Amino acid sequence: MTATFAILKRELLTYFVSPLAYVFLGVFLFLAGVFFYLGIALTGEASLRVMMGNVSISLMFVLPMLTMRHFAEEQKTGTFEMLMTSPVSPVAILVGKWLASLTLCLLMLLGTGLFVAILAYYGEPDWGVIATSYLGLFLTCGVFCAGGLFASSLTDDQVAAGMGGIVLLMPLWLVGSASSLVGEEWQARLDHLALLPHLRSFTKGVIDTADLSYFALLTFGFLFLTFRTLESRRWR
Amino acid sequence: MALSRQWRRRLAYGGNATLVTGLVLALLGVVYGVADRNRARFDFSSDSANQLQPDTLKKLELLAADGQEVEVIAFSSQEGKADTFFRNRAMKDLLAELDVHSATVKTRFVDFDRERLTAESLGVTEYGHLVVRRGEQRVDLKAREIFRNQGTGAERSLEFLGESAFSRAAAQLLSNRRKVIYTLRGHGELDPDERGPGGLSELKALLDQENYELKPLDFFFDRERTGAPTVPQDAAALLIARPKAALTDAEEDALITYVASGGAVGIFWDPGAPLPDLVERLGVTSPEGVVMDKLRVFPYNDRPVPTYGGHAMVEDLREERIVTVVAHAAPVRVPEELPAWITPSTVLRTSRDGWIDRGGVLDKGAAVYEPDIDLIGPVDMAVALELSPGQGGLVNEGKRVSRVLLMGDADALSNMIMGEGPGNPSFAVNAARWLTWDDARLAVVGKPTRVRRLALTEEDQGRIRWLVLGLLPALSILAGGAVWANRRGR
Repeated sequence: MTATFAILKRELLTYFVSPLAYVFLGVFLFLAGVFFYLGIALTGEASLRVMMGNVSISLMFVLPMLTMRHFAEEQKTGTFEMLMTSPVSPVAILVGKWLASLTLCLLMLLGTGLFVAILAYYGEPDWGVIATSYLGLFLTCGVFCAGGLFASSLTDDQVAAGMGGIVLLMPLWLVGSASSLVGEEWQARLDHLALLPHLRSFTKGVIDTADLSYFALLTFGFLFLTFRTLESRRWR
Repeated sequence: MALSRQWRRRLAYGGNATLVTGLVLALLGVVYGVADRNRARFDFSSDSANQLQPDTLKKLELLAADGQEVEVIAFSSQEGKADTFFRNRAMKDLLAELDVHSATVKTRFVDFDRERLTAESLGVTEYGHLVVRRGEQRVDLKAREIFRNQGTGAERSLEFLGESAFSRAAAQLLSNRRKVIYTLRGHGELDPDERGPGGLSELKALLDQENYELKPLDFFFDRERTGAPTVPQDAAALLIARPKAALTDAEEDALITYVASGGAVGIFWDPGAPLPDLVERLGVTSPEGVVMDKLRVFPYNDRPVPTYGGHAMVEDLREERIVTVVAHAAPVRVPEELPAWITPSTVLRTSRDGWIDRGGVLDKGAAVYEPDIDLIGPVDMAVALELSPGQGGLVNEGKRVSRVLLMGDADALSNMIMGEGPGNPSFAVNAARWLTWDDARLAVVGKPTRVRRLALTEEDQGRIRWLVLGLLPALSILAGGAVWANRRGR
């Protein structure tokens, strides 16, 4: 636990002593702002529902760029061997890095608190729906960070890791709208794999245990794959 | 060629890692499958707008009973129109909920513009149409039945009635025959066509959704009738809502004859109103006075908050703790000993602090219990009676059990109270369901979903645009710039 916390602290420091985190935050807030503004301008509704769907897709592109350096950079600069031979378990390293990315995501989401304040000032938002929407988006961030880490663990090239992360996560979005290719019946099955149908319940104010397990299992799956990749370096 | 030691090691580790990874991923898939089949849903929206109402769930359950597939096909609203986004999304949400809650319901959202062939094959010519099919049966719902505009100008809001519309379609699929409930008139009764606060138009609309038709029955002005007054053969029940004048002997006879043949009657009256002889024949009385309770509906002094009895009609309301409001209610007294052919059951009664107020002093405008004048409670306000045939009773041998609902308050059904009491619509619909022997459908009736609108002027929009697209990202970039400058400065 101490080791995980040390890794988390180190990664967060790395984020915030460089302009990287602020640039990500600025880009994310701008994109979220566009979707928020379009949402309320087009629907006139005191809701974040339009924003949430679009922001989740934006995060699919933004978060792999945030996580790409975690393992790729360590491998490129040669600090990876030092890290793996240190008395810190690979699990602690992995969880520490994932939690650091997730903490930055949390800050990004907190930045959108202004949108909620605007809704509350000009209308009567449904607070239950807003809370579950944020929970859904946070869980989505967990999946994307884990997927980005997995891509980063596969290569020592940061750009390749970033692009790889996007390519890895994109099917989670695309399989949700493949009905014209596969037909309605298969689409219903593919919806189990797709991310947006699982996020939809949260944005309506509903917490479904099946959706919760989808996000939890997908995150665990990506983290497990990352762990296996890191471990494989010991015998490759 | 023999593999080197390093390759053998790699193959062994690699094979092991691949196997374990495959097993773990398969296990994750299995866990998700189990979670998907045993899902629990919790609605955190303030008006529980996303969960299907118990009434709809009950109907889905009944529809699924014979395993026959129900097809729900929704057509998109016209693009470019105001509220199109909301309309389509609300419809998709409803379809998703129906999918989740029923294995026999198959839903489909059709883009009316892109899939014209589908529309033509179903004979649909309008945007926002909903088709519900089950075997040969089909119910069509038009957009105006599914969406309703409330208010005008800045106050305008759109309500989505999709669930109640589907519920109505389901009711029609469940019951091929539209049941007729006659409402007696000619004695100053509440009028089902009256849209004012004292009318029953809300009740009529609610029952219409449930596939019941409220038809007036006027013994005096029925010119086609030649013989003695009779309740029509197609009557599923008879409703007598607050008669101000007594029924004539011939009407009393018609009522008794109807009950004797296994008919169902709901009688609702106010304090001091004349009661049909039928009530007395059943041994039930309405003592002089008004029902009062320390537990009242704020800010009214004459509206006790009723508690629910053990009757099935109010079982769901009791469990969901939904209050039915009564106003200025008359007491209903059932004797402790009744003939064996009458089975009474309390529907509504006061709390233990209730009493029958018979005058006396007022405390700050509210009645207080005075032991020397008033009668101590708890006091029944509504009772349901089942009258078995034969046994020397009112119902003729060989006929089915007759059902009678007696309630000392007619206002509870009126438009005024129906809109105020959260449980009143369910109570009224369930009363009709019980009287017409639709016991399987007893459930809480839902409310429409409303859109939470933002009241934004052009200036407001400009201010928001500046805040979310300019200030917020700029602050973050500026912070990054400061960090960068600080590092360069070192």
